[in-house]
Amino acid sequence: MAKEMFLAGCSSAAYGAMLSRVEVISSYPIRPYTGIMMELSKLVANGELDAEFVHGEGEHAQVSIAYGASAAGARAYTGSSGVGVTYAMECYSPAAGGRLPCQMAIADRALDPPGDFGSEHTDVMSARDQGWIMGWAADPQEVLDNTIMYFKIGEDARVLLPQFCCQDGYFVSHIPGKVSIPDQKAVDEYLPPFNNPHPLDPTKPVSHGPQIFPDQGPAIDLQRAQAFIDTPKVIEEAVADFNKQFGRNYDPFLEEYMTDDAEFVFFLQGGHARTARFAVNHLREKGVKAGMVRLRFMRPFPTEAVAESLSKFKAVGTIETSTSYGGAMKGGNLIHEVRSALYDVPNPPPVTSFMAGLGGEVVSLEEFYSMAKVLTQAAKDGKVDQYVYWVNFDKV
Amino acid sequence: MAKAVETQNLEMAKSARRVPQEEWYLPGHRTCQGCGPALTYKLVSKATGGDSIFLGPTGCMYVANTSYLCSPWAYPWMHTQITNAGAVASGIEAAYQVLIRKGKYKGKLPNIVCMAGDGGSIDIGLQAMSGMMYRGHDALFIMYDNESYANTGIQTSPATPYGANTTFTPPGKAIPEGKVLFPKDACQLVIGGHPAVHYVATASLAYPVDLINKVRKALNYKGPTFVHIHSPCPKGWLFDAKKTVEVAKLAIETGMWVNYEWENGEYTYQHTPKEYKPVAGYMKGQQRFAHLTDAHIAKMQAFIDAKLKAPGIPVALPVQGPRES
Repeated sequence: MAKEMFLAGCSSAAYGAMLSRVEVISSYPIRPYTGIMMELSKLVANGELDAEFVHGEGEHAQVSIAYGASAAGARAYTGSSGVGVTYAMECYSPAAGGRLPCQMAIADRALDPPGDFGSEHTDVMSARDQGWIMGWAADPQEVLDNTIMYFKIGEDARVLLPQFCCQDGYFVSHIPGKVSIPDQKAVDEYLPPFNNPHPLDPTKPVSHGPQIFPDQGPAIDLQRAQAFIDTPKVIEEAVADFNKQFGRNYDPFLEEYMTDDAEFVFFLQGGHARTARFAVNHLREKGVKAGMVRLRFMRPFPTEAVAESLSKFKAVGTIETSTSYGGAMKGGNLIHEVRSALYDVPNPPPVTSFMAGLGGEVVSLEEFYSMAKVLTQAAKDGKVDQYVYWVNFDKV
Repeated sequence: MAKAVETQNLEMAKSARRVPQEEWYLPGHRTCQGCGPALTYKLVSKATGGDSIFLGPTGCMYVANTSYLCSPWAYPWMHTQITNAGAVASGIEAAYQVLIRKGKYKGKLPNIVCMAGDGGSIDIGLQAMSGMMYRGHDALFIMYDNESYANTGIQTSPATPYGANTTFTPPGKAIPEGKVLFPKDACQLVIGGHPAVHYVATASLAYPVDLINKVRKALNYKGPTFVHIHSPCPKGWLFDAKKTVEVAKLAIETGMWVNYEWENGEYTYQHTPKEYKPVAGYMKGQQRFAHLTDAHIAKMQAFIDAKLKAPGIPVALPVQGPRES
């Protein structure tokens, strides 16, 4: 029987990893994700989880240990935050290119400078094109569920890709919520043991990662790209099975909130969705037809689902929570993806972006209301005046 | 019930005739004529046999060996970044510990061997190597030492000797010596700071049976071990490709290289000549030292003399208080 506990995102991720029966764990301390490893180290020390707990000498080593273990055929788990995520950057492509489906928990954090503990998505968003599956949870329950689901998706023979299982630092990682912890037997039924089709096994020798000649490159890249093209179907199946097995109600790619008759929507990922839902409720009370669409997977980006969803509205505002300095839209990253997804839609809605929630700042209700003003005007005019609004600094 | 992890016990080869005929490092690679590291690879592979997993951090022995679809290894092999051989080996070893314990892998613990160049060991790879050794993973770290970043066109590494002409230390009017620094001592780095390590050895491709037995002895130890292998590089050191073994022998005869074992704190020495030849003879055979003056060679001789007085043995120095003159 499932049991209920009151857990913050870090502990919830640890329980998700334990229920997934991870076999090799590699740690290195950095706030705020550290809580995940503190919890896991206790579970290993108490004998509740039979795993090798390896203290990496840095994040670069953590990811190397994890993908090495995955290459040998073990289910491997690691994690990090902020500059730890970027320190390990060299190791992401070898893990993805080696098709080694280890999982890395991310409790995101602003990069330096200045020194800042707060949540910001820029750390792991910098690694979004390294060939890892990635997406954000909005609350501790979803953290636990995603941890299990991501292993199921990443280890699928059609996929074989590593995963960034992300949660907002502090907003999700450190704020407890009610979490339903499934029964181990039910998880075992859902998630079979990891079966690496080409492990480093002396009885069946293989070579991993040899040098290629330039003309061999495109074919290998195409295989990786194809894995991402095939992944959405696997995600749909894995989410449907999960909902059935554990009585949840996840949409594979998007959470839509009050969108049936919405004129405009906030488009975002992660824990700020919880404030956004409140903001939408309050705006509705004032007669403003606001809604929210929350992205559950950044990679693979669900282009068709996003196009279908967002083309229903008269205006869209992305809430960035990460930076893309000098990018095409002069602000964040989400808007690039959203505008691209909408490019071929007839009469697409105007899309603008809001720089908010950077450096760990709360995106307050007031900020949502001022964003709503911009979007109400955009819906009325059928166009946006700016690619990007810096909330509290621009004329928002 | 957790299963005990069984390890292998490799026999010592009593002579060259007792070395197995089988090759685990096969022809077909693209190493240079007279390549020392390739010969080292062949001998190390004979020592380990097939129940092994090799890791190849970026370097000559990655780039020149692995052409996609025709790699030369008959055992499982994996590329690692030049930075992280020790960490990837740690992950593989940890995985085998848990997989054997849970009964998911039926065999004995494979020999896990990092085949790293000098850069991948004691320069950019040092952090990961040290991490593996500190944590006590049951794996062998081999530093095949060709005394430079040879793969990228012979640039200086912390193993490059004083006075060598490399493409990053060209001799010139302002810097006539070329390389001005003396190299790191790889074995002392390992011995000095890693209590989990109980066996460290140096070996030379000029003494193949000794090399094979040191590799086997290292693998028979539980926990991390380190073998530093002198592997001359005709292209980088600029000598005739047919003289690789000769150059390696001359290194031992001049004291430029010392073969020894360190086992649980005890040193033993092998192939020590009755009398050392002057280093000039070794240096004059290699064009990388051709620009040096007699004064430079004397500086090298003094460095080697000091090292040979106590090769590998920590010297007890009187402790001087900070205020004493």
